[in-house]
Amino acid sequence: MIMQRQIETQKDDRLADFTDRLLGGETTPTASNSDEELLSLEKTLLRLNHVLPSAQLEEARVEQMLARLKARVKREEEERAARPSFWRRLFDFQSNPQAGLLIGVAAAILLLVVFPWVSLTDPGVTGTAGAGSAGTSAGVNLFVGVGVALFLLALYWISRRK
Amino acid sequence: MQNSEPLPQDASDQFLIQRYKDGNTEAFDALYRRHLPKVYKRIRCVIPEGDVEDVTQEIFIAALKSLSTFRGDAQFGTWLRALTNHKVAEFYRRRGRKQEPLLAPLSGASAQATGGAPKIMEDRIILQRAFQNLPENYREVILLRFAEDMQFNEIAEHTRQNLEAVKSLFRRAVAALRNQLEQ
Repeated sequence: MIMQRQIETQKDDRLADFTDRLLGGETTPTASNSDEELLSLEKTLLRLNHVLPSAQLEEARVEQMLARLKARVKREEEERAARPSFWRRLFDFQSNPQAGLLIGVAAAILLLVVFPWVSLTDPGVTGTAGAGSAGTSAGVNLFVGVGVALFLLALYWISRRK
Repeated sequence: MQNSEPLPQDASDQFLIQRYKDGNTEAFDALYRRHLPKVYKRIRCVIPEGDVEDVTQEIFIAALKSLSTFRGDAQFGTWLRALTNHKVAEFYRRRGRKQEPLLAPLSGASAQATGGAPKIMEDRIILQRAFQNLPENYREVILLRFAEDMQFNEIAEHTRQNLEAVKSLFRRAVAALRNQLEQ
């Protein structure tokens, strides 16, 4: 067991030494044919070293890449600054009239949800006992209806002004 | 005026980062010049030639955006290496989604444009594919030795392992790479 471990450690060391020499410029395998495993690993490293790019970046290239990076960062910052905010885009009814219409409809629905007793249709007379309250309800209906109409008109006016 | 003070040539990364946080943009330029060669070499080992510069720029843009929140818990080089690995993984995820053939850059024009001999370019792409199929610790130990030129004792220090363990890991990694290349 200990013997086997020593053999493995020796193989690790030999491959590491070979790698150091390879990266130092030596390009011939050192393992003997009897040690097929080590020989095949050395050949893999030779292939790796041959294929991987070794050329260093020249200073001029570094400066060129830095200039491109700065230009890109600047462009992105300018684009971000020029882009209107979400709320500005949402309320830009001139270029997005559908949004204005959608907001108007949403506001009307919201009003009906907040004031559930309000109905845009005439409930009619349901009985003498409720006649008084029906009159009040009709008054609220009128009030909310006028409110919604004014709101929609205001939205239209704002969009026309821009 | 702290922002316009000239930066010493041998300023540490930490010093440059602090200067950048104080508003000196030249401090980032110095960091870029210092770390670009290593990042670029690592990227060239794992990314097809035609995409190397784009991915490298992505890494430094991401670094620039998050540098103001860099706390310095890890060394800047280590942090940048993790960012590089993240961007490489992202590149392959995107590429996988697009279903692009991995050997696409082998088209004659592409190989000529990058100035590499087609056989080497083809071999490099096969190698890059094999790299991507390796477990992360195997890939990392090979890249630290070959792409970053770290000595085995430096790798041991960096990974907080003993030298024997690093050499053993390296041999297993090379064996796994060989098996991948034989497939």
